[in-house]
Amino acid sequence: MGLEQILAGHPNLWRGRSASAAAPRGVATGYPALDTRLCWGGWPPASLTEVLTERPEGALGLILPALSPLSQGPRWLLLVDPPLPPFAPALAARGLDLSRVVVVRTGGATAWAAEQGLRSRACSAVVIWGGETHWRGVTLRRLQLAAQRGDALALLFRGEAAACDPSPAALRLQVRQAAEGWEIRILKQRGAASAGAIRVPRLDAGLGSGPGFETARHV
Amino acid sequence: MHWLAIHLPALPLEVYPGSLTSPLPLAVGQDPGGGRILLCNAAAQGRGIRPALAAGAALALAADLRILPRRPEAERAALERLAAWCAGFTPQVSLAPPQALVLDVAASLHLFGGARALLARVQAGVAGLGYACTCCLAPTPGAASLLAEQGLDGIIASREALRSALAALPVTALGFDRRGHDELSAMGLRQMADLLRLPRSGLAQRLGPGLIARLRRLLGEEPDPRPSFVPPASYRGKLDLPAEVPEAPALVFACRRLVEELCGYLLGRQAGVQRLEWRLGHAERPDTVFPLGMSTPSRDPGGWLDLLRERLGQLALPAPVRSLALAAGEIRPLPPGPRDLFPERAAARTPDPSLLDRLRSRLGEEAVRGVQVLPDHRPERAWRWCLPGEVGTGSGRLDRPLWLLPEPEPLEVHGQRPWYGGTLDLGTERERIETGWWDGCEVARDYFVATTPGGQRLWIYRERHGRRGWFLHGLFG
Repeated sequence: MGLEQILAGHPNLWRGRSASAAAPRGVATGYPALDTRLCWGGWPPASLTEVLTERPEGALGLILPALSPLSQGPRWLLLVDPPLPPFAPALAARGLDLSRVVVVRTGGATAWAAEQGLRSRACSAVVIWGGETHWRGVTLRRLQLAAQRGDALALLFRGEAAACDPSPAALRLQVRQAAEGWEIRILKQRGAASAGAIRVPRLDAGLGSGPGFETARHV
Repeated sequence: MHWLAIHLPALPLEVYPGSLTSPLPLAVGQDPGGGRILLCNAAAQGRGIRPALAAGAALALAADLRILPRRPEAERAALERLAAWCAGFTPQVSLAPPQALVLDVAASLHLFGGARALLARVQAGVAGLGYACTCCLAPTPGAASLLAEQGLDGIIASREALRSALAALPVTALGFDRRGHDELSAMGLRQMADLLRLPRSGLAQRLGPGLIARLRRLLGEEPDPRPSFVPPASYRGKLDLPAEVPEAPALVFACRRLVEELCGYLLGRQAGVQRLEWRLGHAERPDTVFPLGMSTPSRDPGGWLDLLRERLGQLALPAPVRSLALAAGEIRPLPPGPRDLFPERAAARTPDPSLLDRLRSRLGEEAVRGVQVLPDHRPERAWRWCLPGEVGTGSGRLDRPLWLLPEPEPLEVHGQRPWYGGTLDLGTERERIETGWWDGCEVARDYFVATTPGGQRLWIYRERHGRRGWFLHGLFG
């Protein structure tokens, strides 16, 4: 009988770094390569996740597969201060129920709107693009608590420079654009070790570089 | 015990905002000439002034006493607003002017969990609206209001108890004129007990048949019909503030009174409102007016107050506020209680709109939107902003970018090739969209999924006619 088998027979035994057994089940990201590296097996539920990236519009595709099943539920999906209007046909094609999507333009009150959405229990997920907002530790802590209270997924896009600042987020990822996908570095995950870089391919990889065809539409 | 009387002993002073708690001695005179004191505040009582004191004597006790004239219209208006609020307890509310209301609560006792619970609820509610009150529940409306007027707070359960409660009152409680008083005292009648003991026929000869009829109504031997108060078709409330309020958030407390009043009125009418109009009165400036809206009709005071708090938090006042006014918008029917046999399941089907109301009240109507898909090939017309929850008629397309620029952005061209931080790789696919000649918004474009040297994917197009320029139209995520 190997050591692993013995340990597996004692689920109550705390095993330091691999807190995965104790962590609550997360919201599947839709990218198996990423899920296996996260101790929740997905986005941490009812917590704040920070995505540090220089191109916040480029990482929407990364979180979209998780949002689609959430949008089938009875709660809103709040997009706070997106950098551009999200293109409805593309969202619908990726399985998002648009009747649950609410886009909020706050004119500076990003943190307030995000907190309202998170704590209301009326949102399954709140995606926050702060733009130039300077996020203070207190504000992030409030978002984290609101996410807990409202049982909502909080996803916050920030610049990479924030990697040096401490944060109460349950999960922090650094996301960089790579060929056909993203290069993701887990900076922090609560209750487990951070890991090295992972390459995650886009789900729609191949679009725009597949076999050539031409669609013509004349009316 | 069917009748609940609400007597407002301090109403003549309460129509002067802040007068009850004012540190200055204030009193209200009994008649326009101010011959006798009707009612005075705590500061005046501290100086030895009592009701029924002559005005001259009162001024001798406290030279700085202000004797205010009675405001019958304001009292009547306050009484009517309170009657509208009471409609939440029973449809049968009658005014018993000048200072009381009588409610037929026979049918409401069970709903509110018994007489004691109902009484406690009414008392707490009236106090919450800012009135002092004595409430008495008795078998007849006349007795209930008489006992409440005499300061008796409580429940008279039976006819026998009613008789003994009435017997303990002085005969003056019946409010005879001067001649009647003299006659009663000449007969040696001091307590109501003395009056009730005497044979009725003799009393009728001496004091007139009116007294006997009154006694019979008090004791429930004769019916005592009361006209039912008809609430106004819409709600308008006004409140003068005791002191000027310079800060908007500090107004929430005062606004609560109006909101409670409104919601009681709505409950009585089994209705809700979607829009409210608030009007803040200033001394020498036009009023500050702002609306408040909800996406579904509501009569929940907590919900309206939450919205109001957000709105007031954002409001910059041009001047201190002296008065508040609230007008309800269109009143819509809203049946009481849960409409679904399983309310949790109804809630589980549709998302909660109150969050959106809260966001709108601070950020504005335009800031909270949904998106929908429309059946059109032109990207600009394939979607639009809509109210959250609205469903479009189009279908999604997987080969579309996640973000669409509000306006196509012209691209630089370097050596015949479009350029965006580097020469773009156009891939091998091309999509031609050429449509819309009939509605004046014709497009004729060839779309490409282009890749920048850094790996970013763009949705760009080239015009098919005219200058054949290159444009950036969308970003893939």
